[in-house]
Amino acid sequence: MKTFEEKWTAWLDGQLSGRELVEFESSLPDLAAAEAEKRDAQKLGLFLKKELGAQALSNEDFFSHQLRERIAGETEESHGSGGRSSWWTVPRLVWSGATALALFFICAVAIMRQHQPGEQSEYLTQILKSQVDPVANPNATVSIFEIKNDNKVTVLWTEGLQTLPADYAAK
Amino acid sequence: MLRPLLIAGVVMLAVGVVSADAAHAVWSGLVIAENVPQPTAIPPELTKFEQTLKDLFGYNQFEVIGQSNKTLKTGEEDWLAVSKYFSLQCDARGENDAGYNLNLKLYKEKDVLLETDANLSKSSPLVIKGPQVGNGQLLLVLVVKDDEQAHRHRREQPANPITAGWNRFRRAIHRILP
Repeated sequence: MKTFEEKWTAWLDGQLSGRELVEFESSLPDLAAAEAEKRDAQKLGLFLKKELGAQALSNEDFFSHQLRERIAGETEESHGSGGRSSWWTVPRLVWSGATALALFFICAVAIMRQHQPGEQSEYLTQILKSQVDPVANPNATVSIFEIKNDNKVTVLWTEGLQTLPADYAAK
Repeated sequence: MLRPLLIAGVVMLAVGVVSADAAHAVWSGLVIAENVPQPTAIPPELTKFEQTLKDLFGYNQFEVIGQSNKTLKTGEEDWLAVSKYFSLQCDARGENDAGYNLNLKLYKEKDVLLETDANLSKSSPLVIKGPQVGNGQLLLVLVVKDDEQAHRHRREQPANPITAGWNRFRRAIHRILP
């Protein structure tokens, strides 16, 4: 069952016919005024169609592409925000650890290589000062030398120390 | 689940690195060198430079009459190697890149026979020729032990697996890059 408003709109648009049209026109209290209103509405419709015709898009492909891009971006964003997690996933953590260890080994090897040739004197024991009791051993002398073979032994060589009896070799 | 384990591993490795590098053992010995018909085996601390000692002093036997094994942690420790009549007093006065700064005093009973300041390198033993004793010669020997030798003397103590692993790794690196 159509309401009066629906029938009125259909009558203005000229879409009522037959028995329905007769029934509706007979229900109107002032048919002449309604006819005048109908004409005015039709005039207004024609005017609006003429003045506000739809503008054709000159670059509709670009427009639709932009729309699709925006929709895709918004969809991706909404998915991302739903399942957000830390950057430090277990595989990344393992890789980071392995990389750090590799860097450590490279640094260790580099540092060890820096101490190889040309710095041998740094590894030899050095005698800074040496003295023998001059009262008990007035003729004693001291000399220093290094055995620069694989063992790199540093020797403090004393001469002229008082000889002691064999008993002094006791443990 | 894995993250705490990884973090714990890194922390343990760091602790292991620090503890592995923190201490060295210094062996100090009073040694009587002499020529005998049947020489006894040389002490293990001297095996690395046995031939050097033989060539240098011309003796075929090296007998330890007093010794000390001191683990240096701060590099400022004191220790004593004693025999019946001699004593070697060692006073460490700090550590540097090349080794340990030591003040050494050789006593014959209460008399100081010899005093010396030395920078004892971790890779270079120090040998001091002392007085003639009977037919032999008193030698003072100081060696900073490498990991193998130090480990041999610590065998009674339970080994720290991280430290031991780190030392093995260091030795492997040293073998690759001698």
